[in-house]
Amino acid sequence: MQVRALATVTAAALALSLGACSSDGSGDGASAADGPITLEYWAWGTAQDGMVEAWNRTHPDVQVRKTDAGGSTDSSAKLLTATRAENAPDVAVVQYDTLPAMIVGGVAADIGEHVADAEEQFNPGVWSQVEFDGAVYGVPQDVGPQALVYNQARFTELGLPVPTTWAEFAAVAEQVEQKDPAATLTTFAPAEFGGFAAMAQQNGAQWWTVDGDAWTVSIDDEPSRRVAQYWEDLVDRGVIDAQPLLTPEWNARLAAGEVLSWPSALWANGVVNGVVPEQAGQWALAPIPQWEAGRSAVSFQGGSAVVVTTSSEHPEEAAEFAEWINTSKEGSAAQIEAGQYPASLVGQELTLSSAPPVQSPQQADYWQVAQRIASDTVPEVSWGPNVNVASSAFQDAFNAAATRGTSFTDALAAVQEAVVADMEKSGFTVSAG
Amino acid sequence: MSAATAPEATRAATPRAARRGPARTTRVLPTAVLLLGALYCLVPVAWVLVASTKSRGELFSTFTFAPGTGLLENLSDLFAYGDGQFLTWCANSLLYAGAGAVLSTLVSTMSGYALAKFRFPGRDAIFYAVLGGVLLPGITLAIPQYLIMSELGLVGSHWSVLLPSIISPFGIYLSRVYAAAAVPEEVVEAARIDGAGEWRTFTSVAVPMLVPGMVTVFMLQFVGIWNNFLLPFIMLSDERRYPLTVGLYSLLSKGSGEPALYSLAIVGAAVSIVPLIALVLFLQRFWRLDLISGGLKG
Amino acid sequence: MGTAGPAAPARPAARPPGRAGRRGRVPIAPYLFLAPGVLLLVLFLLVPVGYAVHLSLRGLRVSGGGPFGRREEVFVGLENYAAALTSADFLGGFGRLAVYGLIAVPLTLGLALLFALLLDATTTTAKRFSRTAIFVPYAVPGVIASLLWGFLYLPTTSPVSHVTEALGLGAVPFLSGAPLFGSVANIAVWGGVGFNMIIIYTSLRSIPAEVQEAARLDGASELQIALRVKVPLVAPALVLTGLFALIGTLQVYGEPTTLAPMTTSITQTWVPLMTIYRDAFTRDDLPLASAASVLLAVGTLAVSVVLLRVAQRRAFGSES
Repeated sequence: MQVRALATVTAAALALSLGACSSDGSGDGASAADGPITLEYWAWGTAQDGMVEAWNRTHPDVQVRKTDAGGSTDSSAKLLTATRAENAPDVAVVQYDTLPAMIVGGVAADIGEHVADAEEQFNPGVWSQVEFDGAVYGVPQDVGPQALVYNQARFTELGLPVPTTWAEFAAVAEQVEQKDPAATLTTFAPAEFGGFAAMAQQNGAQWWTVDGDAWTVSIDDEPSRRVAQYWEDLVDRGVIDAQPLLTPEWNARLAAGEVLSWPSALWANGVVNGVVPEQAGQWALAPIPQWEAGRSAVSFQGGSAVVVTTSSEHPEEAAEFAEWINTSKEGSAAQIEAGQYPASLVGQELTLSSAPPVQSPQQADYWQVAQRIASDTVPEVSWGPNVNVASSAFQDAFNAAATRGTSFTDALAAVQEAVVADMEKSGFTVSAG
Repeated sequence: MSAATAPEATRAATPRAARRGPARTTRVLPTAVLLLGALYCLVPVAWVLVASTKSRGELFSTFTFAPGTGLLENLSDLFAYGDGQFLTWCANSLLYAGAGAVLSTLVSTMSGYALAKFRFPGRDAIFYAVLGGVLLPGITLAIPQYLIMSELGLVGSHWSVLLPSIISPFGIYLSRVYAAAAVPEEVVEAARIDGAGEWRTFTSVAVPMLVPGMVTVFMLQFVGIWNNFLLPFIMLSDERRYPLTVGLYSLLSKGSGEPALYSLAIVGAAVSIVPLIALVLFLQRFWRLDLISGGLKG
Repeated sequence: MGTAGPAAPARPAARPPGRAGRRGRVPIAPYLFLAPGVLLLVLFLLVPVGYAVHLSLRGLRVSGGGPFGRREEVFVGLENYAAALTSADFLGGFGRLAVYGLIAVPLTLGLALLFALLLDATTTTAKRFSRTAIFVPYAVPGVIASLLWGFLYLPTTSPVSHVTEALGLGAVPFLSGAPLFGSVANIAVWGGVGFNMIIIYTSLRSIPAEVQEAARLDGASELQIALRVKVPLVAPALVLTGLFALIGTLQVYGEPTTLAPMTTSITQTWVPLMTIYRDAFTRDDLPLASAASVLLAVGTLAVSVVLLRVAQRRAFGSES
């Protein structure tokens, strides 16, 4: 601990001397008495550097040092082990679906007292992702409302309508097969736990619910089974392929204009741009298809919150940082510039006056469409304490089903069984839904 | 091959005659097999070099072995990535592999020399512990090593990768085998009779004789640490401390919302394997790999 | 290896008085030489092993109740071992490992021996080039090797599939079904052949020239010399490379892990170490992972010792 304290002081001194040119700053309640402090921040994604820079520019007394500890899976695994070793960073980005595991694993601290006024900055559905049992475990950063990104140029070329329901989506997939056999409307990635969970939630599934002291797990409930059957049918008939996403193979097909759409979330625009920058101007955003015509239910796929860890020696400053980068105009502006969709109302408001992101310069109403999508999100989806187990069981069960051509609904039952067994082993009170 | 070789060799009384033998297939076929092996080993390396010239778009759209037009852009992207992080990774790899291999060679040579040239209580126990270490899958230790490093407060630091890399049971084993064979008992005895202390005997008499063995241990450790992935992957979370393997992997394994940076990873791979190949090729003339099997004879 | 131990450990009490002066310093010096090595050995090998055993007897259980109770470490006896030994994921991994090993080990050793013999034969040319070329993959880290082979396997980017598709045969399914095992094994073979070849080749070079001359004068062909004279003489090198290949097989992790995102056929439990990694880091069940690690380590030791015993009896006959 002493070594660490020394390192912190040295780093802070260094940051101060390097940052001598920065403005006088406001101080913002940071305890300047002990001199400047440095917070360690684990985060991934292109938006982080700008946000951290905006904070550091205005807060000379509390400097933040960002580290990329890997994407969600690697980063959350490291957070758990680092917490056990008591050397976790002060602040970290955690995906909503991993947050419960981070709470149970003792990573995330309750920061309710430090961010008392943060709740009103968010939609209730978004805020429910970070508040459990009256305790606040993080500040929402970005949200990933599901959306359909599609290759508008190819859609026009083949004369395809933009589907608004999943039934229409299946019909369009068949049309693509007839009109251009080399192309496919989309691919089904069996390992995409987050995407499947979102589609199930859109259909009304509630995988984990708390009733008093007991958990109810219902991963293979009726709405989820229907989603599984839907994709199983399309894969079985050969209308679309079951294939992992973003592999060299998938990227090559995207580059060749053979993958025409990707039902995913608002962040997909930046991903497509990363793979095929030369297709900028061809891609557009549309609402995600609905399970029932006339409804407009949208659920989250991805999205993350900033948590303060139990290892932090400066929880108050850390919480302030978490709140500021996610609710201030400066933070949101940096976020939007990088193509991330902000979780805060301030940030979402700010998008409306922004230019469309780089992959869709032709779609003038991009952010308006995005805001409409975001306002339709289904509220109050709760995740369980072992989403990591569910996600890994899901990956294996669905990959195996896709490889062997066996039933997706059976795979879903296997996931349910694995999740319940794991929770019982850990000592939770569980009932299967 | 067998059918072609047999009659010719019986005809030839001496090897010299055999070499001048008329049947061309006896020479062409074995050489062809050998060249086929060389081709098999070089093709993927050639691919990396070719692929590193492709732009992001070309990587997925042009024929596998068709050169692209993006080499310079890839290189500048690579060196610009994360404020020059690639160079930091190179420096880290050099630090881990270079310092680790040097220290490992020293520790192994000292230990191997002691085990080979002294008789003392506990020698057997230590030697069997070393042998056990040789046979133990290193990866199964990674998790407990992580926890011990965190007890020591070193997780995430350069030390967490460097310290475990220094200990090489195989290096100690090799050094013992080599010391037993290369340093004659009489020479050590003579030095002792001359009144040289044990340390002086070691540094001025034994070490010069042990140099080929030390080069071998150094090379094996250098390449082993350079190529190691799991240990640094588990120990480190700060990308500024990553070695190349973990750094390049981190380009591929991005979070949701970010595509894998294939073209960066490929040009990074190309840049990083070229010097290592050069080093291995340069040093392979100095090392004594026959040591490895020599030890088994007893 | 049987002669590894000292013939007669010196017992201080039984030391002849005449040599006491010279030997008097001996007991301290070797310990000083060994100190750094032993310290590191204890710290990073023995203590972790002990720690792993300790952890394997513990479990993380929710305490305090409630839906968001924190998990704490408690003693659970052999529960984790029972769980590992009955886990279909973990055991299935050994099955896949066996298939993989049956391809990778013989191919690596066979090709290494073949190339070494060809390098040593009088009938081949272009030796320097070939030796260097075959050795090159040794310098390529496994993670990078897997990435580049991945590109060469996937249908759209594979040059092989380019050819087969042009011939109307369709793409080669390198990463699914039975070919998958060959494809993963191939990466290990590619990376391992050169190193093993050099070990065997250096052993071949140390065979006295007279032995070969004598065989030639007896009218033996190059092939006969290779099989009857050279191979038996490099048996120790073969045993050792075989042992390394075997240990390497039990430790397979990087190659399938890097290929996994490219195919639906590689699960997170494809080989035992992947299961261990998943349990430890993805599922945060360190105790279960520790138990599985201990089992794997014990298994590796047992297999190695048996192999060495058998090989010693076969290859070195009456020696030891």
